Amino acid sequence: MAIFEWEEVKIDVDEDGFMEEPDQWNERVALALASTEGVAELSEEHWHLVNYLRDYYQKFGIAPMIRKLCKETGFPLKKVYELFPSGPAKGACKVAGLAKPTGCV
Amino acid sequence: MDEVIEAVKPLVQRDNGKKTYPYYIENPVTENRVERFLEAFAAVLHFTDYKPLLDSYCTSNAKCNRCAVTCPVYLATGDPKDIPCYRTNLLLETYKRYFTFGGWANSRFSNGTDLTEEIIDEMLDLFYRCTACRRCTTECPMGVDHGLMTRLGRYILSLIGIVPKALQVATREQLEGETHNTSKIPKVALMDTLEFLSDEIEESFGVRMEAPVDKYDREYVFFCAVSDYLLEPDTLMGNAVVLYAAGDWDKWTIGTQDFDGINYGLFYSDWHLENIIKQLVHEVTRLRGKKILIGECGHASRSAHDFVPVFAGKESYPVFNFMEYTLDCIEKGKIKLNPNIITERVTYHDPCNISRSGWIVEQPRKIIRSFIKDFVEMEPHGVNNYCCGGGGGLVSVDEIYNFRMNIGGKQKADQIRETGAEIVISPCANCKKQLKELVEFYKLPCKVMGLHDLILKAIEIPGAKSAEERKEEAAMFEM
Repeated sequence: MAIFEWEEVKIDVDEDGFMEEPDQWNERVALALASTEGVAELSEEHWHLVNYLRDYYQKFGIAPMIRKLCKETGFPLKKVYELFPSGPAKGACKVAGLAKPTGCV
Repeated sequence: MDEVIEAVKPLVQRDNGKKTYPYYIENPVTENRVERFLEAFAAVLHFTDYKPLLDSYCTSNAKCNRCAVTCPVYLATGDPKDIPCYRTNLLLETYKRYFTFGGWANSRFSNGTDLTEEIIDEMLDLFYRCTACRRCTTECPMGVDHGLMTRLGRYILSLIGIVPKALQVATREQLEGETHNTSKIPKVALMDTLEFLSDEIEESFGVRMEAPVDKYDREYVFFCAVSDYLLEPDTLMGNAVVLYAAGDWDKWTIGTQDFDGINYGLFYSDWHLENIIKQLVHEVTRLRGKKILIGECGHASRSAHDFVPVFAGKESYPVFNFMEYTLDCIEKGKIKLNPNIITERVTYHDPCNISRSGWIVEQPRKIIRSFIKDFVEMEPHGVNNYCCGGGGGLVSVDEIYNFRMNIGGKQKADQIRETGAEIVISPCANCKKQLKELVEFYKLPCKVMGLHDLILKAIEIPGAKSAEERKEEAAMFEM
């Protein structure tokens, strides 16, 4: 386990920079994590995606099916990649504070 | 080019005396690895039937290197250490030296070699440069199963804590976690996803199909690679509409206590293989099901098909891959596929785990030819296919991406390019993920889909919107 520091934020992360304790997430943490994804600022569209993921995660304990994410946020997959170049699982979910996906994902 | 060089470099590196492993390991062992490896090896020999097999391989492994030209990894690197014989021999030499009288005597009186830290480094690297595709077994004149030797080598290494974290974390969640599946999908999320898929089908077909969950006494209990519930809606919906159209909607169910067909035990640990199989079988017994139906996943199908009879004892159930079921429906005239929907050029990638033994080779091709006009084969294909490059669990190990792209998947990328296909069918969750990454990496002008993704487009269901109507609507949506 490693500790990631960014400005005043200090969180436990895994080897790929995913949060180890998703409960410690807040909006400053999102900014900190976004900085590791080459996303310097979080626009309204970024937040729309991140907040959707966050809400879904709190309700269901995992990220939604990618198709559902696209449908409910109104962003086609291409747009998701524009916002988070590493994609929905490794970019958007990471910034939303979810743990690294496991299994064949 | 830098990336190629990066990927060819030996994966185990020493940096100021501090070892870095080629993949993430939860608690890397650094001390007494030789003694611990030999202890673990002795324990495996004591509790399993590997001994007679190893005795036989020791006498038959001719090191003739005929396997070299069959191995996609060796073909990409040309490094003699990537020849299957060489890798297998690391294990066989250790076995001979420490567990046979002749080998022991040879080491005393002649020039036998001892196991060293360096050999352990080599093993933990080479056993995870093998994708366990077993293509080499088709050429070995002595019948040595190098894929099995890879698994045995990985098994012993795992017993001393050397195993990629990605595999270990997933199997731990599957056997000991709350969700009992490799992707940590809780039951509530499964239910939400099934609801979503039902909505999607209704939107497209105009017919509502509620997935049967925890229904008792059904003929089929369905297990897919659980990652499909996150990544592959069209494959799952394709599976569903076939069951619906065939009139079998009240003959199947999904269990909520175990809905994951994935079995990484097949890749690195006999103990996990056995216990994951038992968990799956118990779910079928709980639901009083009669048959196990595995979705589009190569290793899930092979592990269940080959090992349910081995480990389930009296609880054993027949195992079917979904493509067998679908072909049966087509041949009996239970479902109808519109031959005018898929107009693109299509090729088919054989997942090694179901094709190498010859089990699932012709079935998907019969299905494809029944509704797709422009079908081209890769060369070679079927029993002799090339691995996608992510086999043996490697696709889950993100940190070896460079290896998977530049080396493991190189042959496959070349093959796909040569077909000129616009769609690559890959009926396997592992292969799909790897091939999608390959297509992006090599900028191949095609997309990767499941077979049932295409069936979803082409199927005609009485009382539902026709395939033509659905195609038009989908085209409108895309605009």
